[in-house]
Amino acid sequence: MKTLIALTIANLKGLTRDRAALFWTFFFPIMFVLLFGVLFSGSGSSSKVTVGYVDQDNTAASAQLRAAFSQVPILDLQSGSLESEKAAMQNGDVAAVIVIPKGLQDAVAQTKSGKPASVAIQLYTDPSQTQTTQVVIDAVNSIAGGFSLVASGGSQVLTVGAPLTLASTNISTVTYLVPSILAMALMQLGVFAAVPLVQQREKGILKRLGATPLQRWKLVASNILLRLVVAAVDTVLIIGVGIAVFNVQIVGNVLLSLGFVFLGAGAFLALGFMLASFLKTEEQATGVVQVVQMPLMFLSGIFFPFTFMPDFLRSVARLLPLTYLGDGLRQSMVNAPQIAPLGIDALILAGWMVVCLAIAARSFRWE
Amino acid sequence: MTQSGEPVIRVSDLKKCYGDVKAVDGVSFEVARGEVFGMLGPNGAGKTTTIEVLEGLRSPDSGIVEVFGLDVCKHPESIKQRIGVQLQSVSLYPRLTVTELLDLFGTFFKNRVPTKQLIDAVDLDERANARSMDLSGGQQQRLSIALALVNDPDLVFLDEPTTGLDPQARRSLWDLVKGLQEKGKSVVLTTHYMEEATELCDRVAIMDHGHILEMGTVPELIGRRFKERAVFFDSTAKFPAERLGKLGGVTRATQEDGQTVLYSKDVPDTIGGLLAMADELSAEPHNLGIRQATLEDVFLDLTGRALRD
Repeated sequence: MKTLIALTIANLKGLTRDRAALFWTFFFPIMFVLLFGVLFSGSGSSSKVTVGYVDQDNTAASAQLRAAFSQVPILDLQSGSLESEKAAMQNGDVAAVIVIPKGLQDAVAQTKSGKPASVAIQLYTDPSQTQTTQVVIDAVNSIAGGFSLVASGGSQVLTVGAPLTLASTNISTVTYLVPSILAMALMQLGVFAAVPLVQQREKGILKRLGATPLQRWKLVASNILLRLVVAAVDTVLIIGVGIAVFNVQIVGNVLLSLGFVFLGAGAFLALGFMLASFLKTEEQATGVVQVVQMPLMFLSGIFFPFTFMPDFLRSVARLLPLTYLGDGLRQSMVNAPQIAPLGIDALILAGWMVVCLAIAARSFRWE
Repeated sequence: MTQSGEPVIRVSDLKKCYGDVKAVDGVSFEVARGEVFGMLGPNGAGKTTTIEVLEGLRSPDSGIVEVFGLDVCKHPESIKQRIGVQLQSVSLYPRLTVTELLDLFGTFFKNRVPTKQLIDAVDLDERANARSMDLSGGQQQRLSIALALVNDPDLVFLDEPTTGLDPQARRSLWDLVKGLQEKGKSVVLTTHYMEEATELCDRVAIMDHGHILEMGTVPELIGRRFKERAVFFDSTAKFPAERLGKLGGVTRATQEDGQTVLYSKDVPDTIGGLLAMADELSAEPHNLGIRQATLEDVFLDLTGRALRD
C-alpha cells in the first residue's frame, strides 16, 4: 500500500510539473466549457416561455380563464389536447403544460349558489428548468387567484395543484454541453494515458522498475489511481465552472453520475492501455492518440444533440463508446433525453473496458 | 547471507535467442563473494543480455542461472530484494528530484538505506533537490548508482556505468566502484573500456558473439597470449613489412590503427635492428615506443577486431 501510494504520488508530481500535460488535462476542458458557454449562453434564454395549454372544461368560464392567461406577457400559449401537449413538452417545444380540468364552470356556479366548490389546475413542469418553472408557477398562481376573486368573490374556486414532473428536452445548450465536455475530458484523460506509458517504456523506466521487487500490478494500479484522481478533479472543475459561470443546473442523481464518471474513466483508460501496448515511440503515441480521440470527439454527438445528426452519422455514433458515456452523464446529471437506457450505456462502457483490458493484458510489453 | 566459498553467481551453459539471433550462446561463469567481475566486449557481444538474465529482467532459453544459490526463474522476488541494478542509459522519472527518486525507490525494498546517506555516498548533496532531467551526464550516472544501492545490496550490477562520461566523471565513478568493493559487495560490471576493466576488475570475461572467449585476471589474460612486449611506431611505406618481421626478437608484426606493432621477446635487439634498418633506408620511425601488451591486444588477438569500432 505504501509503495502504491508513493508511486501514485510520484506519477502525480510528474503530471503537475509538466506544463503541457497540465494544460491538456485540466485547462483544455475548462476552456471548452468557457468557450461553448459564451457561444451558446444567449440562445437558451428567450424572453417568452411557450407553454402548452389544455382546456378540458370548454365552457364560458374556461374561455374567460384562457383570456386571462393570454394577457400574461411572458407566456406564449399553445393549445392542444393533454396528449399532444405532453408530447410537445417531451420534445422540448413547450416548457410546461397547464391543464384546466373539467368542472370549472360547474364549480363556479355552485360557489355562486352558496355551496363552495373548487377545481385545481394541473401543471406539468421540468424541475431541472428552475427558472422557467418558477416563472410558469408564479403566473399560474396569480391568474388562479385573480380568477377566483372575479368569478366567485374571493372563495377559492380555482386552486393550483402540485406540479407533476415531466422531463423536457428543452434544456439550455450549456446545460447539455457540460456533461458532454466532462465526457470528452474523461475520454481524453484515458486515451492520453497511453503517452506517458509509452514514454516510460521507451526511456527504460518500466524496465528499471522491473529490476526492483515492485510487483507489476502495483505499477498498473498506480496508473489507474492517478487517472481516477485526475478524473475526480476534472469533474469538479468542469461542473464547478459550469455552475459558477453559466448557472448550469445539475439536478440528477449524484451517485449515478459519479458511477458514470468512474466507469467512463475506466473504459477509456483501458483503451489508453490497449493503445500503449501497440505503440513503440512517444512520437507515434502522440500521433495515434490524436487520430483516435478526434473522431471520438466529433462523431459521438457530444457537442450537438444526437437527433440533429444525419442517419449515417448516427449509426457511426452508435458504435463509439463516447456516445454512451456522454449519454449516461447527460441523463444522470441533467435529465437529458436518452439515446439508450442508462443500463445499456453502463453495459457498453463496461464491455469496452473489459475487451480493451483483455487485449492490453495480452499484448502489453514492458520494454 | 551467502556462505563464504559459495559463489554469489553461478551461470552454466546459458543460452538466449532473440528470433534467429543467438544473443548469448552457451555462457558459463561464476562470481565469488566480494569479487568485482568484468564483462568486456563490443556492442552486441551478449554482455547486457547476460546480466539482464541475472537481474531477472529476461528469462533464459536454457542453462542454469543462480544468484545467491537461488534459481533466477523461481525466486526473482527474493533475488531482486538483495541486488542493486544500474541499467545502461536509463533516464528516470525526469520531473522528480534526486531525493524524491531515492525515497520512491526505497519504498520498493524491505531493506532501506537512508536517502541522505545515499546522496552523500555518491556526492550529490548540492543537487539533492534538482530534478533528474536537470542533472549532467555524470550526475545522472551517480544518481543511478545511488538508486542501485537503496537496498544496501549484496550484489551490484553496473551496465556500462561510464559510457559517455568525460574522463573526470569516469574517475569519480571508478572511485565509487572501488568503495563498493571495499565494503565487501560483489560487483558485476560490463564495459567496453579496457582501462576500466584493468583498473576495477578482479577477473574479466572477454565476450564476443554470445560466447566467453577468455576469462581470468587481467595479467593472466595478457600473460596467456603475450610473452612479448610491443614495439610500435607510425606506419610508413619506407619499411618493407617482410624485413620488419625478420628483425631480432620479433615474433609477429601487425598494423593497428595506423601503427606498426612489432611483438618482441627481446626488445633491445628489436629496437637495435629497427634503428639500423632506419639508417640504411634513411627513414625515421616516428612516435617510436614500447609497451606491455594490454587487454586491447588480447581482444584484438582473440577476435581480429578492435574493441571499440
